[in-house]
Amino acid sequence: MGKKSMSVEKSSYNRMENRAGMLMSIPAVMLLAAFLIVPISYTIYYSFFKYQVIRPDSIVFHGLNNYLNLFKDEAFWQSLRNTVYFTVIVVPLQCTLALGLALLVSGKRRGVSVFRTMYFSPQVTSMVVIAILWTILYNSNANTGLINAFLTNIGLNTIDFLNSPKTAMNSIIFMSAWQGAGYQMMIFVAGLNSIPAEQYEAASVDGAGRWGKFCFVTVPGLMNTIKYVIMITLIQAMKLFTQPYIMTKGGPQNSTKTLVYYIYEQGFQRGHFGYACAAATVFFILIVTLSLAVKKITRTN
Amino acid sequence: MKKFLGVLLAASIGVSLIACGSAGSGSKSEGSNGDVVNLTIWSPTDTEPVEAWWADKLAQWNEENPGIQVTREAIDRSDSYAYENKVTTATTSNDLPDLLYVDGPNISYYAANGLIVPLTDYFTDEDLADLMPCTVQQCTYDDTLYAVSATESSVALYYNKDYLDAAGIAYPSEDNIEEAWTWSEFYENTGKLTTGDYVGTSIIMDKGEGLIYALGQFWTENNAQMISEDGTEADGYINSKESVETAEYLVQFIENGYANLDPVKDEFLNGYAATMLGGSWNIGEVEASDLNWGVSYFPISDEGKASSPTGDWSVAITKDSKNVDAAGKFIQWFMSTDNVASYASAIVKPASRISAYEQMEGWEEGPRALMLWQLQNTGTARPNSPSYSVLSSDFASALLNIFSGADIQSEFDKVAVSFDDNYKDYYAESEK
Repeated sequence: MGKKSMSVEKSSYNRMENRAGMLMSIPAVMLLAAFLIVPISYTIYYSFFKYQVIRPDSIVFHGLNNYLNLFKDEAFWQSLRNTVYFTVIVVPLQCTLALGLALLVSGKRRGVSVFRTMYFSPQVTSMVVIAILWTILYNSNANTGLINAFLTNIGLNTIDFLNSPKTAMNSIIFMSAWQGAGYQMMIFVAGLNSIPAEQYEAASVDGAGRWGKFCFVTVPGLMNTIKYVIMITLIQAMKLFTQPYIMTKGGPQNSTKTLVYYIYEQGFQRGHFGYACAAATVFFILIVTLSLAVKKITRTN
Repeated sequence: MKKFLGVLLAASIGVSLIACGSAGSGSKSEGSNGDVVNLTIWSPTDTEPVEAWWADKLAQWNEENPGIQVTREAIDRSDSYAYENKVTTATTSNDLPDLLYVDGPNISYYAANGLIVPLTDYFTDEDLADLMPCTVQQCTYDDTLYAVSATESSVALYYNKDYLDAAGIAYPSEDNIEEAWTWSEFYENTGKLTTGDYVGTSIIMDKGEGLIYALGQFWTENNAQMISEDGTEADGYINSKESVETAEYLVQFIENGYANLDPVKDEFLNGYAATMLGGSWNIGEVEASDLNWGVSYFPISDEGKASSPTGDWSVAITKDSKNVDAAGKFIQWFMSTDNVASYASAIVKPASRISAYEQMEGWEEGPRALMLWQLQNTGTARPNSPSYSVLSSDFASALLNIFSGADIQSEFDKVAVSFDDNYKDYYAESEK
């Protein structure tokens, strides 16, 4: 008899919980629909039309032509190459830097929190502001650019950071890694602090040195964090737009034009809205595929 | 729970689609509110005196015209194309204001695409005769008036007298065009003027529209056109031999370090450049500084051909306006001689109305007189074409690529292809 009344209570409690959950999910689902699902559907829809942005009244069905023209466009492939290059270099660079910084600041020594704040602070500033500042830092003239001023002071030649196709993308990579490392660093710090101290003690007992501890205690303990950090950095990197937009406008000679910049340029500056939607759809499929692939690889581990 | 979420999601999508659809037919310009018509005007943000002018004048108009109330929305120009991007976005949702500021060369583009409406009902031929010819040319598309400008612009060669003295170079003339610096003199002198502390000249106004606006004159002076007269074709023009020659001339300045590809803001004003291709809008700030400066004509070709930039922002009425007549009245008032004179003085730009000069001070001599002279004698409007925005941004990219080492002919060939494709795609067909 006691059991029966308990199970009745439990199910009515469950129903109440369910109802509360449903109500609370309404705003989130509505926002999801309005700001994610509907725009994505529209984008895919318009990618099959010839749509000049300044003429919303004359939209013509165009079949697969936008996609065919996209794959014939050398600028699109260049943007893809640039984006992949950026991603492939920035992800390991930024994550390694973040891990290194995290190892430095995760201790409980005095004054360490000052450094933690310093390393994190670029993350707090708007990327636009940082990009503008670095554009001045990177200025090719030694009278204006701080970095070149320093180089000439120690007797070296100036480097044309943002105006030479060979160095522009690398300059952006360096600055992006510097800015983003702070965020990943904080995640790593949290991960490091969650590794039980006993594991380190056990390792010491077994005779492991600093390097040994790092390889056999830190890295395995941090594995999930590392996978997570790589995944989010990867997706962030593929979406690069702000830095090229502010610092180089996709130049010089299209060496810093990324996929998102290409989409923006085609859609808004040139007004080829339908074509830009096609490029955006391809980009969407690319990112989803990439994320699923990364998830699969890291899960089987 | 899952079923509930599914239903909720579907309902949300439905609601969003309906909301999108109805927002699309909305309009920023409200209809009549009882008897009062409310108009909105968009224009770029500007300096203190200009913002003050707007505030005063709109207050004045609103007081004298209780039936037509006008409010202004100032749009920030974070970069060379930011204002146009905002207009484009508003177009997609049919959300344009009643009155819109349009940068000169974009008038053809907007007119060809039906964004702005003809203004022939509001300005008589007599009235237009009081405006400068280059202004009327800029504001006309397909023989119809689509906008009006209260101001014009010009670009001249500013120079730092102290730096010229230090290099032993004579000042270029301020009153005789034949004694202006020629291409060769400009090149040689900037070479002599380049030192470790400052460069010989500043020619990069910005990395967008400023390139075709200011440097386009070199093309005109070398008898090179960028596109055909009727604005339909670029192949054979932008990639012609003369055009390539002009670019070769300009590249030297960057290659040899006589000009910075990445100038700091106000390079000339801060003493980091000995000369500058500066606008009529720079006069105010140069006068206010303690620079020992002078101004001369835009450099002329070695054969003596002179050209100078013209064109400025204009006002137009958009297709989304529900009160075209009221907007027309406002524009007529805005373009009255008194208003043009005070606006031009506030924004320190040459007025487009010739009769306005009777009220404006300081234009009889000195740098302002030089700008005015150039406007009326050597002024050349930018190419008139519905595909102008493509030409402008392609030309800017090409020139920047060329300045960082790309091959001139192939860059200009790409511009020709891009322009011609754009024109054929959107304008060559009869109905668009």
